[in-house]
Amino acid sequence: MTGYILKRLVSAIPVLLGITVIVFLIMAMIPGDPATAILGSYATPENVEKLNRDLGLDQPLVARYFIWLGNMLTGDFGRSFALNRPVIDEVLDRFSATLVLAGTAFILCAVFGIIAGVVSAARQYGFADKAITFAVLLGISVPSFFLGMMMILIFAVKLRWLPVSGMFAIYGGGDLPDLLNHLIMPALALAVVATGVVARLSRSAMLEVLRQDFIRTARAKGVGERDVVWRHALKAAMVSIIPVLGIQAGFVLSGAVYIEMVFQWPGVGRMLVDAILKRDILLVQGGVVFVAACYVLFNIAVDVAQSLLDPRIKT
Amino acid sequence: MTQGILNWTRRGVLAAGAAMSLSLGAVAPAAAQTPPGVLIVGQIAEPKALDPAAVTAVNDFRILMNVYDGLVRYKSGTLEVEPALATGWEISEDGTVYTFKLREGVKFHDGSDFDAEAVKFNFDRMLNEDHPYHDTGPFPLAFFFSAVREVEVVDPLTVTFTLNAPYAPFLSNLAYPTGLIVSPAAVEQYGADFGRNPSGTGPFKFVEWRSNEAVVVEGNPDYWDGPTDLQAVVFRPITDANTRTAEMLAGGIDLMVEVPPVSLSEFQGDSFTVFEQAGPHVWFLILNAKEGPFAEKAVRQAANYAINKTALVDNVLEGTADVAAGPTPPAFAWAYNESLEPYPYDPDKAKALLAEAGMENPEVTFYVTEGGSGMLDPIAMGTAIQADLEAVGFDVTIETYEWNTFLGNVNPGLEGKADMAEMAWMTNDPDTLPYLALRTDAWPDKGGFNSGYYSNPEVDSLLEEARVATDQDKRAELYKKMQTIVQEDAPWVFVANWKQNAVTSDRVENFELQPSFFLLLKDVVKN
Amino acid sequence: MKKFFQLLLRNRLAAAGGVAICFVVILALITPLLPLQAPNVTNTANRFQPVFAEGHLLGTDHLGRDMLSRLLWGTRLSLAVGFSAAIFAAFFGAAIGIVAGYFGGRTDNVIMRGVDMLMAFPYILLALAIVAALGPGLVNALIAVAAVNVPFFARNIRGVTVGIAHKEFVDAARLAGLSDTRIILTEILPNVVPVIVIAMSTTIGWMILETAGLSFLGLGSQPPQADLGSMLGEARSALITNPHTSVVPGVMILIIVMGINLLGDGVRDALDPRLRSGALTRPMAATVVQRKGAVPAPHAGGVLTMTDLETQFHVGPRIYKAVNKVSLNVAPGECLGVIGESGSGKSVTALSVMGLVASPPGVIVGGSIRYKDEELIGARYTTLRRFRGDRVAYIFQDPLATLHPLYKVGDQLVEAIRVHHPVSRAEAWKRAVELLKQVRIPNAENRASTYPHEMSGGMRQRVGIAMALANDPDVIIADEPTTALDVTVQAQILSLLDDLRRERGLAIVFITHDFGVVGQLCDRVAVMYAGRIVEEGPTDAVLAAPAHPYTRRLIACVPELGEGRRRLEAIPGLPPAVDRLEPGCAFAARCTKKEAACVTREIELARAGPRAVRCLYPETDLSREAAE
Repeated sequence: MTGYILKRLVSAIPVLLGITVIVFLIMAMIPGDPATAILGSYATPENVEKLNRDLGLDQPLVARYFIWLGNMLTGDFGRSFALNRPVIDEVLDRFSATLVLAGTAFILCAVFGIIAGVVSAARQYGFADKAITFAVLLGISVPSFFLGMMMILIFAVKLRWLPVSGMFAIYGGGDLPDLLNHLIMPALALAVVATGVVARLSRSAMLEVLRQDFIRTARAKGVGERDVVWRHALKAAMVSIIPVLGIQAGFVLSGAVYIEMVFQWPGVGRMLVDAILKRDILLVQGGVVFVAACYVLFNIAVDVAQSLLDPRIKT
Repeated sequence: MTQGILNWTRRGVLAAGAAMSLSLGAVAPAAAQTPPGVLIVGQIAEPKALDPAAVTAVNDFRILMNVYDGLVRYKSGTLEVEPALATGWEISEDGTVYTFKLREGVKFHDGSDFDAEAVKFNFDRMLNEDHPYHDTGPFPLAFFFSAVREVEVVDPLTVTFTLNAPYAPFLSNLAYPTGLIVSPAAVEQYGADFGRNPSGTGPFKFVEWRSNEAVVVEGNPDYWDGPTDLQAVVFRPITDANTRTAEMLAGGIDLMVEVPPVSLSEFQGDSFTVFEQAGPHVWFLILNAKEGPFAEKAVRQAANYAINKTALVDNVLEGTADVAAGPTPPAFAWAYNESLEPYPYDPDKAKALLAEAGMENPEVTFYVTEGGSGMLDPIAMGTAIQADLEAVGFDVTIETYEWNTFLGNVNPGLEGKADMAEMAWMTNDPDTLPYLALRTDAWPDKGGFNSGYYSNPEVDSLLEEARVATDQDKRAELYKKMQTIVQEDAPWVFVANWKQNAVTSDRVENFELQPSFFLLLKDVVKN
Repeated sequence: MKKFFQLLLRNRLAAAGGVAICFVVILALITPLLPLQAPNVTNTANRFQPVFAEGHLLGTDHLGRDMLSRLLWGTRLSLAVGFSAAIFAAFFGAAIGIVAGYFGGRTDNVIMRGVDMLMAFPYILLALAIVAALGPGLVNALIAVAAVNVPFFARNIRGVTVGIAHKEFVDAARLAGLSDTRIILTEILPNVVPVIVIAMSTTIGWMILETAGLSFLGLGSQPPQADLGSMLGEARSALITNPHTSVVPGVMILIIVMGINLLGDGVRDALDPRLRSGALTRPMAATVVQRKGAVPAPHAGGVLTMTDLETQFHVGPRIYKAVNKVSLNVAPGECLGVIGESGSGKSVTALSVMGLVASPPGVIVGGSIRYKDEELIGARYTTLRRFRGDRVAYIFQDPLATLHPLYKVGDQLVEAIRVHHPVSRAEAWKRAVELLKQVRIPNAENRASTYPHEMSGGMRQRVGIAMALANDPDVIIADEPTTALDVTVQAQILSLLDDLRRERGLAIVFITHDFGVVGQLCDRVAVMYAGRIVEEGPTDAVLAAPAHPYTRRLIACVPELGEGRRRLEAIPGLPPAVDRLEPGCAFAARCTKKEAACVTREIELARAGPRAVRCLYPETDLSREAAE
């Protein structure tokens, strides 16, 4: 197993290098420069040119790439132009917030998506199945930002049950109940679409598995229906559900951008959007590489989980 | 870095707990109210830095003005300067030497002394490329003080500024946030990170800055002008106007600035107070006078006649602005030409002017931004303007850009790209905007902001003259003359002068808005 | 194609989605012809008119523009963008996927690494960066949305292509010297197109949402042009004061995306061959019983007695009579063979005993099955469950499929024990190892901890037998347990079963299609054809002198030992479809001795002593034989 993990880690290196190239090229292609963002309304072409020189942006592209890459390998992600702060500090700060949001949403979507899918499959064509199928369809058809806005309007402004936005109470607070309070709406809004996708997939994976011969074997042994569905069938269905969870993790991470904007969550998605708009090159590059690396690692973890679940996979 | 990791661990533990509790369906307690004595301010964006020399946005100024003091400041409710850290000043006969007497016994929040050396440090850092801390910049507004040749320490409480020529806006610029005095000791300690570890002499001390969550400042009990009653002020960046409104309605913030016009009606009840204050702001359209249809003065005037500005300010902006008559906002009362009447809404006249110019259906490209400092709902405005222009025969194509890209496109000049662009300026002196954006020498290639390439030698000389005149009446006369000429030449479409607004909850007392657009919170009470 | 639409329409939800989408699309198409107000003319004094305001059915927006008009024009644009983005993404994604999947090797590796990279990039940021690089505008947003979806298509299509690229017909085309381009276009593409269509139909909705998302971020259409996303984005600032301006486009997005998703699901299901056959339905815990007549009295004694069992498959309007009035019985210590070709109903008969026929589509419509004195048809589920594996146990064919692939064999045995006996896990494990030893698995202690895929076919079947023995049952129903095994292993398994039956007094019902196997193990044999028993009797007698022509032909299929070449006499023709049986003998069409009388009326199962045959002109005269 250790060998397998190592092998997967090594094979992730070219992917990550490729990502550094992609993000670097994209940032180089985007017109406009950080100087305008730093200098604000008062950016004259002259000042912009001078500042670009100070920032080292007048050097050739290839040189800039290797300087950046070299620095990054030594742990130096550079300084954000716009925030006047080391990139790594900002990214860690913001990524931890995204992790809380996206992680919760991911767990919600996995737990509820799988439960809904299993129930739906076990009660195929029954009332529960129809209700779940409809709810799931509704869920994957609503733009998450619209849903978020509506939730704010109803639960925060009209009913005043929950705080409108932010991650912690702005003064005092900072404990777990406070976080939960702030987390409920954004995590739900973010989880809805992914829950729908997971539920749909779990349902069809379960239907597929429930027709298998080994399910008949379990029944022939006299195993109760609940165990047949939740142990025998679900365990086998997980083999096709887990890779989807891996993909959904990516979607949740991406979808967090909208939710972070609507709910003012201090996360990395919103930071990257801002950074792209402000041409904060080093922050975008550092942030994207960090996020992508986490995503790649997560996918390796998914594969490892898969191989632990399914002994037939050669490791 | 270490702090980052600690923070991470804390968040990690909380996250795991949160995820579990939510999955298990745990119920969280109801939202708590904001505590008395702590004022929560809804800001429109995360500040860029808390270093007054390094920032340009009004949003950042709102925090800075409460943490720092300048040598001088605007008298409450006006744009006239009064003593602050300087107790008084003398100006030499020729208007080139300013001698300031400094207040005694003032200390920075970090405990270091405020004195003449500190003042010299501040201006040298900004202006002198050889200064050891010049690299803590860049300082985009340093040109406010480009007239300063030298700052000299006479004695610990006396400092002189020598200008290379008379420069009338100098005192006013000192009152601007760029002139706020920072603690040299803090700059030396934090270097480039000073912007995140600010230290000034103001009524509030910096406590913490949580990225994209809040900037917290607390009352400075030793403030030279009497301490504030507030225990603390929390500035929350809430970029989404809708969320900001929702927070205000839900009681999550006590004070909200830049209320979106469409949301104003929500705050009509007793539990909120809406404030309004005209300020030195102009919202206009830059017209490309170098090429294309707007090279013709008649077409530029036609655009001014064609746009229904009254409908824009009353409906789109819900009365949060007045129709602008010329390039100078009425807030500069002494320099404003009262006799100017705005271009009336007269589509027939516009059509006639277009016919006269021989261009019934000029095609124009119109740069619109999605938002930005002072831009007042620019997409809705741009769309309404487009509809008005099309009604008289223009064929308008809109291109929208996010603010930084927009500036990157507009500031280098519109030539070859567009015929028209939205723009807004908030300034502290009647000199600033026309000097930077209407002179021939302010064309983009000469380092100015005259992106529409307007050029009128008479305007040029009036502006140069007013800048060095030391007598305010003389300056007023020159500016008024300039306004008449510019209005007639119509290098811009003059659209609106914004009335800054803010909403407070009924727990906030003693709040008022300033014509300078600054947010001064020292005297505010929060129950 | 007709079948496709029939299936699509039969799915009521999909039909509803289709109708909604058609309605919206038609509305979008005829928008220019409708007497609408100009969508871009502002009238700011008239802004925020509510829904149903005079002259404005859906009210007006923040600039006083007519919402209805903007909604329809916006829908037109959003649909166009969604469809084109899906087509772009599908085209490029499919092209990349096919190339990677077809050529494989290094090409595949390089391309898929690239796809991995793009997928690791948060897609909204990628879209945002593309729009930032290209400049604002709906077309650029479209390109961005399409581009970020290319990797998903590529990955999906590649997987399918890899499967096809190794099929025989592709190899054949290669050997025939066709160029790669030709093979891709003529052999691969037609097989991939359905997958592309399915992927596209499920993606269009997503595309519309994503474009709306970009417009929400201000990167979509340029004012004054309306698309649903930018309408939503522009109306956002008035959400609290004038919610209708956001709700109207929001609901339209919802309708479109839901409609597309419903339709897409319908299309997917209709194209899926398994769903056509109804095979994608979940079998219930026990076979459905819809008894038509009264419970017949048991025709004979024995530990397990089936009388006039009727099991059918109800698929749509068709009824397949898989088991048609079958009566069988087995006594303790006896082994009954049930033999027949595939499709003869022998397995269904076996599965009917414990209600294990997949339902839907299986239905037991009549007859009686008794375990000792207990009636099993229509018994409560808890009763059935109590007997399953405890009193009546099964051994299935192909143990690779019938053992759970993800549990250790020991655990599967432990479960079988603990379902019926409240013993500790450790104790059950000991018993499991014991069972493995009994079925002569060497090194049983270690083997208990392996997974089914790690064992050989013979070993797996021994595990299957061990599982059936776990609770010392009275009856074992073995459903072709040796079919998948090679001859030597088969012989071992058979002798194992034989030993067990003698040691324990087990009753065995042995289902097979091979008379050779029957000869080795069974005391009696019943021959099934088209859901009925056509002959029954002691194995030796039947083998020596088959009475039914079908039986004779089946026996002829068995290879004789000692002959140089196996002479397998296949039976010409196919068994009849059991959903439209003609009256009379079902074998008549394939029978060399067919007479007119064979197909005019029902033929009874004629009993004579221990034997019985359902034939008018039997090969052997049973009554005479019985008399002798």
